[in-house]
Amino acid sequence: MAAVDYLLQETSVGYGLYQVVQQPDTIGNRLKEVQEATQDLARFGKMIKLVSFAPFQGAAQALENANDISEGIANDHLKALLEINLPKGGGGKRVVLGISDKNLASSIKAAFSSVDCETNDVVQDLLRGLRLWAPKLLKQLQDGDMDRAQLGLGHAYSRAKVKFSVQKNDNHIIQSIALLDTLDKDVNTFAMRVREWYSWHFPELVKIVNDNYLYARLILFIRDKNTLSNDRLHDLVAIVNDDAEIAKAIIDAAKVSMGQDISDMDMENICSFAGKVVSLADYRKSLHGYLVDKMSIVAPNLAQLIGEVVGARLISHAGSLTNLSKYPASTVQILGAEKALFRALKTKGNTPKYGLIYHSSFIGRAGAKNKGRISRFLANKCSIASRIDSFSDSPTTKFGEALRKQVEERLEFYANGTAPQKNQDAMKDAMDAVLADITVDADEDNEEVDPEMADIVKPKKSKDKKEKKKGKSKEKKEEKKEEKSDKKEKKGKKDKKDKKDKESKKRRRDDEEGDVSEKKKSKKEKKEKSKA
Amino acid sequence: MAFTPRGRGGARGGATPRGGSRGGARGGFSGGSRGGFGGGARGTPRGGGHGGARGGGRGRGTPRGGRGGAAGARGGAKVVVEPHRHAGVFVARSKEDMLVTKNLSPGESVYGEKRISVDTPSTDADGAPTKTEYRVWNPFRSKLAAGILGGLDDIFIQPGAKVLYLGAASGTSVSHVADIVGPTGNVYAVEFSHRSGRDLINMAKKRTNVIPIIEDARHPLKYRMLIGMVDAVFADVAQPDQARIVGLNCHLFLKDKGGVLVSVKANCIDSTAAPEAVFAREVQKMREERIKPLEQLTLEPFERDHCMVVGRYLRSQS
Ligand SMILES: C[S@@+](CC[C@H](N)C(=O)[O-])C[C@H]1O[C@@H](n2cnc3c(N)ncnc32)[C@H](O)[C@@H]1O
Repeated sequence: MAAVDYLLQETSVGYGLYQVVQQPDTIGNRLKEVQEATQDLARFGKMIKLVSFAPFQGAAQALENANDISEGIANDHLKALLEINLPKGGGGKRVVLGISDKNLASSIKAAFSSVDCETNDVVQDLLRGLRLWAPKLLKQLQDGDMDRAQLGLGHAYSRAKVKFSVQKNDNHIIQSIALLDTLDKDVNTFAMRVREWYSWHFPELVKIVNDNYLYARLILFIRDKNTLSNDRLHDLVAIVNDDAEIAKAIIDAAKVSMGQDISDMDMENICSFAGKVVSLADYRKSLHGYLVDKMSIVAPNLAQLIGEVVGARLISHAGSLTNLSKYPASTVQILGAEKALFRALKTKGNTPKYGLIYHSSFIGRAGAKNKGRISRFLANKCSIASRIDSFSDSPTTKFGEALRKQVEERLEFYANGTAPQKNQDAMKDAMDAVLADITVDADEDNEEVDPEMADIVKPKKSKDKKEKKKGKSKEKKEEKKEEKSDKKEKKGKKDKKDKKDKESKKRRRDDEEGDVSEKKKSKKEKKEKSKA
Repeated sequence: MAFTPRGRGGARGGATPRGGSRGGARGGFSGGSRGGFGGGARGTPRGGGHGGARGGGRGRGTPRGGRGGAAGARGGAKVVVEPHRHAGVFVARSKEDMLVTKNLSPGESVYGEKRISVDTPSTDADGAPTKTEYRVWNPFRSKLAAGILGGLDDIFIQPGAKVLYLGAASGTSVSHVADIVGPTGNVYAVEFSHRSGRDLINMAKKRTNVIPIIEDARHPLKYRMLIGMVDAVFADVAQPDQARIVGLNCHLFLKDKGGVLVSVKANCIDSTAAPEAVFAREVQKMREERIKPLEQLTLEPFERDHCMVVGRYLRSQS
C-alpha cells in the first residue's frame, strides 16, 4: 500500500493541505496506533505538518465550495491550492493525497494527472485527527472563528436547500391589505374635505362629478372656474373619460356658477391639497396592483376563488396563510364576525352566517334564503383553496378555478335547479390539468431526491380528493336535513363534524412530515386531555 | 459485559437531586405508575410525600406573597426550579413537577410550550433578583425528555457540549438540546425533509448555537464541511437502516469515546417482529459500528414500543 504523502482538510473556513511527515505504520492491527496518536495533539502534531491553508474569501465563496464539496467537485479554489503546493510529478513521480470522499478523488485525478487519491482507513483516521484539532492546527484562526463560519455556512447551505422563497411571504400581504384599508379611509376623508373646500368656489361641480378621484383631478385642471372656457373643452373631455356631455355641463356650470371668487393664494392651497389626494389615490391603485400580484404568488387558488382583496383579508385576519389553512371551514365562514358569534352564543340567538367572506360577490348574488348555504359552501372551498396554497410547492390556479366554477354551479343550482357537476369529476379535471402542467418539469423537481416527499405527493392529493368528496356528500346530506330538522340541532352536529375534520387533517399533516409516531403521540395527548 | 436491557423500573435510587424522600419505591423522577406528568390521570397517591420532607423550608407550603410577586408564569402558582441530576436540565416544582430547560432566547416559545420565569436571588448582597426563564419540556413530545424522566444514566448532552442531532424535524427537541448545551455548546441539527427544515431554520435563527443542516443523514460526507468533531450523537431518524446511519456519522464526526444516543422505534424498523427482538438486533448492529452499548431503556409510558439505546463510541479499541 502506498504511503500517504499529503492530507486534505476541508473546513468551513477554508482548505488546509498537510504533509504527512511521519509515515504511520499500517501493518496489521497497527491502525490502532494511528487512532491513538490522533487523540494526542503532541503526538499527532509530529506526524503532520501544515503546508498551506487557503481560506475562503467571504460567505459566497464558502457556500460555493461547500456545495461543490458535497457534490464531489473540485472547486477552482481547491485546485489552486493543490496546484501551487503539490510537487509537480516530473519523471513519473507520483504523489498520494489522502482525502475523505471517493467522488472528490475522481475530480481531483481528472485535474491532476500525477496525483493519486487515497481514502483508506488510515487516511480516515488521520483526517479525524485533523478535524479534531483543526482549531489548534490552523494557527491563524481566532477562537470561535470556526464555529461562526460553520453557523453561517450551515444556514446558507440549508436555506438554499429548502429554497426559502422570499416571494412566498404572506407578511407583505397582511401589511398591504391593512395599508389599503387605511388608505381607503383616508382618501375618502381627504376627498370630502377637498369637495367642501372647493365648493366654496364652484359648488355646482359636486353635482356633476361624484367620483372623488375625478373631482380632485378636475380641480387641478380647472383651478379658477372663471378661466374655464370652451377652448379648454378638448382637454377637459380627456379628463372626464371622453364624456363630452359631462365636460360640456361643467363648462356651462362654470359660466353661471354661484360660487364666490377666490384669491390666488387660497386657490394655490386648495390645489396643493387636491394634488395630494390625487397622488394618494394613485398610490392606492398601485398598492392594489401590488397586492394582486402578491396574492397570485402566495395564495393563487384562494385569490382565484374569492378575489384578491377578500382573500388577503382572510389571511390577514387569520394571521398567516398557514393559520388560515389550519382553520376548519366553519371558522373560515364566520372569520371576522367573532363578535356576533360570541354574542349569539351568549344569548343563544342565531349565529352569524358569514364574516369576511360576505364581501365576496357570491354571497350578494345568492337569494336571501340561500345566503347562509352559499356562505357555508364557499367557506368550505376557501378552506380547501388555502390548504392547497399553503402546502403545495408549485403555484397553480387550476384548483382555484375549479373551485370557483363549483361555487358558480352551486349558485345556479339554488337559482334554477341545474344539477352541478359532481365534485369528484370537478376535482379530477383540476388534478389532470395540474398534472398536465407538471409532467414537463417533474424530473427537475425531484432532482435532489427527497424520498419522503416523493412518496407523499400522490397519496396526499388523492386523499385531498377523497376528502373533498366526503365534504360534499356531507354537504348534501346536511342540506336535506336542513329542510326537515330544526336548525339548532343541526348546528351541534355540524360542529362535531368539523372537529373530526380538523383532527383528521392534523393527523394528515403529521403524516406528511414523515413522522408517523407523531400521529400516535397526538392521539395519546388527546387521550390525556380528555381524561384530565 | 455489564450490559443488561432494563425497563425503566430499575432499582436505581438517589437519582433525584432532592434530598427528601417521596412516596415511590424508586428515587426516580416520575415515580408514579404512569405519567403523573403532562396532566394524565394519576393513579398513585403520590401527592402525599410531596411537600413534606423537603429541606429548604421555602416550599410551596408557604403562604403566598412571601417573595414579592409570585414567580410562576401561570396563575401565580409558586414554582421552584431545581437543577436536575443531568447538568443543564432543570426540574420545576409546582403543583406538578415538570422537566424544564433554561430558555436561550427568553420571551419566546418555540412550539407553543409553556414558559416559567423565576427570580434567582442575585449573587451580590443587595442586587435585585434577576429573572430566569425556563421552557417546559414535554416528555410526550420529545424522546430525549422521556429518556431523562425514565432515568437515563448518562445523556452526554451537557453544557458546552457539541452535539450532532440526526432527525431534527422542526426543531422542537433540538431547541431544548440547544438550551442544555448553552451558548458555549453547539448543536448540528440534520434533517432532510424540506418542510420541517424550514421550521428548523427559523428556530435556528433565534438560537445561534444551532447549526441547521438540511441534508440526508445517510450521506454525512455531503455535510462534512459544516461540522467539527462532536462529543455526542443523538439520532431519532426513525429509519430501518438507522444503525448504519448512526455508524456513518460517528465514524466521521464523533470523538473517540463520545456518547451515542439512539431512539429506536420498533415499528419503523421491523413491524412484524417483537419489539424486544428488534431492540436487541439494533443494539447488535450498533456494536458492529464500534458503539459499545451502555444502557437500554424503554420509553413507556410516553411512547409505545420505543426504546432509547445509549452507547459509547470506541474507535480505537476494536
Ligand atoms: C421521529 S422524527 C424526529 C423528531 C424529533 N427528534 C423531535 O423529537 O422533535 C424523525 C425525523 O427524522 C427525519 N429523517 C428521517 N430520515 C432521515 C435521514 N436519512 N436524514 C435526515 N433526517 C431524516 C424525518 O424527516 C423526521 O423529521
